[in-house]
Amino acid sequence: MSSRIPLVPENAVPLPSLKANNGLLSWVSSIDHKQIGIMYLIITLIYFLLGGLEALLIRVQLAHPGNDFLTPELYNQLFTMHGTTMIFFVVMPFLIGVGVYLLPLMIGARDMAFPRLNALSFWLFFFGGILLYYSFFTQSGAPDVGWFAYAPLSEKPFSLNKGPTYWALGLLASGIGSVASGLNNVVTILTMRTPGMTMRRIPLFVWMMLVTSLLLVFVIPIITAAFAMMLLDSILGATFFTPAHGGSAILWQHFFWGFGHPEVYILILPAFGIISEVIPVFSRKPIYGYEFVAASTVAIGLLSLGVWAHHMFAVGLGNAANAYFSLASMLIAIPTGVKVLNWVATMWGGRINFATPMLFGTAFIIEFVVGGLTGVAIASVPIDWVVTDSYFIVAHFHYAIFGGSVFAIFAGVYYWFPKFTGRMLSETLGKWHFWLTVIGFNMTFFIQHFLGVMGMPRRTYTYYDMPYWGSMNLISTIGAMILGLSVLIFVWNILVSLRHGRPAGDNPWNAWTLEWATTSPPAVENFELVPPVRGRRPLWDLAHPDMPDEPGAKTV
Amino acid sequence: MENLGGLFNPSSPEMEAMAGLTYYTIALCLVILGIIVIAVAYIIIRYRKKPGDDGEPYQNFGNIKLEIVWTVIPIAMVAVLFLLTCSTMKEVDPPAGDRDPDLVIIGHQWWWEIRYPSSGVSTSNEIHIPAGEKMLVRLESIDVIHDFWVPELGRKIDLVPGHPNYIWLVAGKPGVYLGACAEFCGDQHANMRIRVVAEPEAEFKKWLDGQLAIPRTPTGGIAGEGANLFQTMACMNCHTIRGTAAAARVGPDLTHLADRDTIGAGVLTNTPENLAKWLANPQRYKQGAFMPNMKLSDSEVKSIVAYLEALDEQ
Amino acid sequence: MANNRMLVGFFIASESIFFLMLILAYVNFHGSVTDGPTAVNSLNPVVTGIFSLFLFASSFTIWLAGKSLRNKNHFMLKVWILATIVLGAVFIFGQGLEWSGLLDKNITISRNVFGTTFFTLTGFHGFHVCVGLIMLSLLLGLALAGDFKGPKSDAVECISLYWHFVDGVWVVVFSVIYLWAFL
Repeated sequence: MSSRIPLVPENAVPLPSLKANNGLLSWVSSIDHKQIGIMYLIITLIYFLLGGLEALLIRVQLAHPGNDFLTPELYNQLFTMHGTTMIFFVVMPFLIGVGVYLLPLMIGARDMAFPRLNALSFWLFFFGGILLYYSFFTQSGAPDVGWFAYAPLSEKPFSLNKGPTYWALGLLASGIGSVASGLNNVVTILTMRTPGMTMRRIPLFVWMMLVTSLLLVFVIPIITAAFAMMLLDSILGATFFTPAHGGSAILWQHFFWGFGHPEVYILILPAFGIISEVIPVFSRKPIYGYEFVAASTVAIGLLSLGVWAHHMFAVGLGNAANAYFSLASMLIAIPTGVKVLNWVATMWGGRINFATPMLFGTAFIIEFVVGGLTGVAIASVPIDWVVTDSYFIVAHFHYAIFGGSVFAIFAGVYYWFPKFTGRMLSETLGKWHFWLTVIGFNMTFFIQHFLGVMGMPRRTYTYYDMPYWGSMNLISTIGAMILGLSVLIFVWNILVSLRHGRPAGDNPWNAWTLEWATTSPPAVENFELVPPVRGRRPLWDLAHPDMPDEPGAKTV
Repeated sequence: MENLGGLFNPSSPEMEAMAGLTYYTIALCLVILGIIVIAVAYIIIRYRKKPGDDGEPYQNFGNIKLEIVWTVIPIAMVAVLFLLTCSTMKEVDPPAGDRDPDLVIIGHQWWWEIRYPSSGVSTSNEIHIPAGEKMLVRLESIDVIHDFWVPELGRKIDLVPGHPNYIWLVAGKPGVYLGACAEFCGDQHANMRIRVVAEPEAEFKKWLDGQLAIPRTPTGGIAGEGANLFQTMACMNCHTIRGTAAAARVGPDLTHLADRDTIGAGVLTNTPENLAKWLANPQRYKQGAFMPNMKLSDSEVKSIVAYLEALDEQ
Repeated sequence: MANNRMLVGFFIASESIFFLMLILAYVNFHGSVTDGPTAVNSLNPVVTGIFSLFLFASSFTIWLAGKSLRNKNHFMLKVWILATIVLGAVFIFGQGLEWSGLLDKNITISRNVFGTTFFTLTGFHGFHVCVGLIMLSLLLGLALAGDFKGPKSDAVECISLYWHFVDGVWVVVFSVIYLWAFL
């Protein structure tokens, strides 16, 4: 096609090895964004299974009151590692990994702006995780102070073992890797776009990755500094967070949540991006209100920086501070609501193909709305006083992070697996996976809302034998088992489909963004020629020259 | 229907205000969720791809008016919720002014020290209050962060080392209200439980007087032996028994232990048999607690139990 | 390429947040020390101020280095890079003197919150200066090997950007620790 133009801008970095199937060394030494992306996905899948196993052990312990399946110490290690693993070594690196794979393809680039930095990010994440998990094999055991590691519990003399030190070092390393990823993504998105791919035309996934990456760049250093202070406390005897020596327990909380709340949006914004790609393609319609979905992302990113102390309403900061943080947190509901309604409007009037990616995409909307609405409720200070640190909160954030991020991740895996591997995942196994996930997930977590408001605190290895508590917890545990089974089916689907899946072809879903314009999997150099970009859906424009998107592609 | 507790059984004016706000908000959330679910269900039925229908639907890019509508409506909702939040917050947490606390609660890993500053009474884990009276509580921590939570009576509040907090504690009706530590505080966070015993004024006075009594130390018999053991073994390094040399504040004040309902901040019901089991090996019931296994012989356990039980009988 | 400068720009923005946290920690505890060492009773603003002038001057010399490169004056490029290294090294020497003086008086990171926040803040800044000195030395080595033809070099521009940043952080740190205590 003569209208195709060569790939620009040319990359100054030498090409990675073409011998992609040359064993482990070609992977370890790779600076190709696709290989690095795949490595992220494989490692996060392993951590997902580990974190899931930890969750199941926790649920078995809680199956009935007074259970002594786990010792309190081991229980505390498990919930600490479960939270840390799922946040820092599953959801976050998965989204970074899928971004690293897709960003250059989506904007028509040859690779990331800094391929070597990209590899550095991955290996920092990889060894950070190993450092964290190595703690299990040390005499002192894994960290047992929660994923939030509140001081002074996490410091001497209340934690004499080395667990929290491994925790801080592991997260420090992977955090620096995340900053590097963020820098790389931002520069890639801002400078590597193919001609015609203006900022008003980039796929929404790219928009969301841009905002996420800016959050990584500006928010991770907060916790990096806090980790440094914590390590100075534990290694050199500094007194930042030790009230007995003039330090402040509350300062750690400000630092931790100053990072921790934006982190929640780092976990969910790319998931929003995945959903904003999947829903239009399977509804056969362009995204409804592109500008509003993109702008609401920016609004969420900005607002997320000023809401951290809603995690601290019970600390006693005073009513004025509480009122401010309450209002700021509630405001986030507005841009988030805009997104949800635009997704629903995209489906409205479509011709929807409910293949597995779309099943997860549709379920995402409902599950995430549950988590989002309880989120608005607990932004109200008195409601937070009732439910904070109870199982209500456990239910709330699992609806946001599992029902939100992980459902979107599943949608993304089923959607892009054909691109990554050249083969389709099995639809039959996919549907089993989907329904078991929906049943298991809601069974596990919905009931925890009630446990929470009935008075069951979080992070306890055992609980009062109050009316219904035992049976409600048992239902939750059975749900978790079903969820565990669904994950095994998912893994089985991946393993089987890698060998025997139906060949995918370049564009099995008849999608519109640039990653579908190349082979599956893409060649090392990504594209031979990039199609011309004259709108938001370059492949739609190619297929429908009679009715291209622009100039009509605006919210009117 | 059995009493579900917590939010479903608000037992103080403060908790009633918070429960009311919670109900309104959850109801509003359910309405919104309902709208979304119905819309999605309709879409699933109406816009599912039918077999043989391979054309592309009408390509619709958005509508500014609609975007404005669904931005403005949530803003209005947030404004209402915020106003309700502020008024409820004021109702639950009114300023105390310049008065001394009626109660001081000090968090320890993993038990609660309860002090009544005006009378000097010190007890642990079980808080007696006169029903219907507003008690100003000062909360401190001696080690890590804890959180005071009695679900039927009101809000959670952290016990932060170096940062004392105040709350109002009220129980509308007499009764026993269970609570627990709600901020993760280490190995035995799960077994750091609270009992609030709200009594009619007269009974509360009686209880307070009982607590103020300084018991005589038994001299003879098995209880006397227990008293000797208590003074000579490590017990007094951590515990107080008023009227004796034992005055340490590392562990709970045991002067009126026999008067309390539970042992080990809610681990066991307080009976002589359970107390004996606890003394024989506290780590079996509360692994990681700072009370060590003293490796007491059966007869030593018996004597100490007799002593502790005898203290309250006078 | 614009890429490199943009990367360094965002990296510096990220680093600014890191230092902001260390500064906030210092400010948070300022005035909370009731006994023991504080900025007022243990620091010497004049000596540190004089050593600071060396660092501030080095920002000027690295700018001159860049200017020499733009004018294709390769000799002066090397001279100004060397001058920058010397000035930076003098500053670090001054920091070392101050630290050893404090340690001699048993003012350490574990002594109290002043020690904790002071050593952490100046320590991380000093670490960044040292990293800058290493990069400048590499730059000097490359310049001596004739690597920079001019008029533009990303390496020179990026490192000088970083060096200005390290210098700028010290302006804030010096103000917060010394000027705030003594003015």
